[in-house]
Amino acid sequence: MIQLQKVVKKFKNAAGEFTVLKGVDLTLRSGEFVSIVGKSGSGKSTLINMITGIDHPTAGQVIVNKTNIYSMNESQRALWRGKNLGVVFQFFQLLPMLNLLENVMLPMDYIGMYDFDERPGRALDLLKMVGLEAQALKLPVAVSTGQQQSAAIARALATDPPVICADEPTGNLDSRSAEVIIQLFDRLVKGGKTIAMVTHDPSLTERTSRTIIISDGELIDETVARCLPLLSHPQMLEVTHRLERSTFPPGSNILQQGQHVDYFFMIVSGVVEVILCGEKRKDVTIARLGPGQFFGEVELMRGGKSIACVRAASEGAVELVALHRDPFIQLLGESSMTEETLGRLVQIRIEENRAADQRGKKR
Amino acid sequence: MYKVYETIAGDFPALRGINADVQRGEFLGVIGKSGAGKSTLLNMVTGVDHLTSGEVIVHGDNGAVSIHKLSENDLALWRGRNLGVVYQSFQLLPMLTLVENIMLPMDLCGLYQRGGSHERALELLRLVELEEHAFKLPNYISGGQQQRVAIARALANDPPILVADEPTGSLDSVTADHVFQVFEQLLEMGKTIIMVTHDNSLAPRFSRHLIIQDGEIISDLQPVGKKKKK
Repeated sequence: MIQLQKVVKKFKNAAGEFTVLKGVDLTLRSGEFVSIVGKSGSGKSTLINMITGIDHPTAGQVIVNKTNIYSMNESQRALWRGKNLGVVFQFFQLLPMLNLLENVMLPMDYIGMYDFDERPGRALDLLKMVGLEAQALKLPVAVSTGQQQSAAIARALATDPPVICADEPTGNLDSRSAEVIIQLFDRLVKGGKTIAMVTHDPSLTERTSRTIIISDGELIDETVARCLPLLSHPQMLEVTHRLERSTFPPGSNILQQGQHVDYFFMIVSGVVEVILCGEKRKDVTIARLGPGQFFGEVELMRGGKSIACVRAASEGAVELVALHRDPFIQLLGESSMTEETLGRLVQIRIEENRAADQRGKKR
Repeated sequence: MYKVYETIAGDFPALRGINADVQRGEFLGVIGKSGAGKSTLLNMVTGVDHLTSGEVIVHGDNGAVSIHKLSENDLALWRGRNLGVVYQSFQLLPMLTLVENIMLPMDLCGLYQRGGSHERALELLRLVELEEHAFKLPNYISGGQQQRVAIARALANDPPILVADEPTGSLDSVTADHVFQVFEQLLEMGKTIIMVTHDNSLAPRFSRHLIIQDGEIISDLQPVGKKKKK
């Protein structure tokens, strides 16, 4: 539904030229609730500004619902945006001289959507939805900041756009008001809206269906972020750069038992089966691993050959990303938390393997 | 003016008997620390908040109006015709060009016919010396320039009074200077400006300034050499 293709954004200032986005590819699907996170200066606001058109890419394309939004001029884009995108900001951006009802009516007025007489009623319905009908005739300064943001969300929904883009929508709110906003977003997603939200608050990313991490103008591979969450963003980015991708058809072998292992494998999609194979004994499936899980760490950390065979499950193809032994070992040296966590997991998996092996022998 | 807020911890008097007259054409500064009551005072003048007791009387071309006695609707109408408001955060819509930002409230209020509002918006941008940037997005101009656009927007309906709450609060001194230059121009056109700030170094900028502390006026001064404008 939203597609960024090789998006580059450069800024010029007195100190010279600065590349904020370094060729970003990203696809957001309809109905997703996506959080975009990253350190200050990583490019996360610039990324969402590429979708809203608040900022223009230096190179690359942004396609929303089959429309290439930078093939339009500014006023065409403003009209297109009015129908297709609702935008919510950290500082609400309500017009101070208009009451909440009038603020919500603005977008309908701007693009001439809904009959003139219909607009106040529709605006009031939206304010009702965000719990502000009693405040409808108040000016923004006369209500709390949390209420101002709720009104801004009502305004973003005025023309019933399929997509909502929000830049730090709770960044200026206390935690209770932030919770109200997030619940509102939850309801909108359940109602079929697509939401992309920039945030630095980890308690919000937990509530979204997908998290995009941006580091130094590049996106971190989402599988890496899921499999190795304890790495720092620059470390995740380094791993992203070194990934090797592969796809296996349903039922095919990925690793043979006893085979030398040179990679740490992370599952992008599909299911793999970890199987103890024996020449004389019956095969025993000891684990089924899905997206966001990994294998190969036991062999890389302890040395030696594969303790089991790994196979793509029969129900579908498996897509993997793999990191070579050398950068993997180096990474463990740099991230003691990751090494500890993986170390514990290795222990557990070896014990599982032994237990399964015993059962296999008894049969 | 008296204003008492009821809180869980008890009654909190934000304004304790403020008496002040503002003359037409004045540039009045209201200076005070955070919590002194200066924004509360401004909210009483704009009628955004209700007084506990007292009155705010505005003498306009059509006689005197006690604004807190107006109905909510009449107050909104009065405000729309008489007041322009500028805040510390500029509250421009980032996805609209400068000229569209200024046209937006005009179109909604229906004061200018479509087409007319475009001309008027360009004229206002000329006034704040930003006409050449008319078709840019707010992101592409500086913070000081954005505040000047917000001032232009506040002037859309040509109100006689402009109230500004920390309009230079997030600007550096050079860009703040540009904002004051715009204010000077407006004063020459006969506007009255009331501006709230915590920054007492700005005192010499005003034609008169009040210092407010704990909800009371503790000083009411005109800088030496500055005369009240008529």
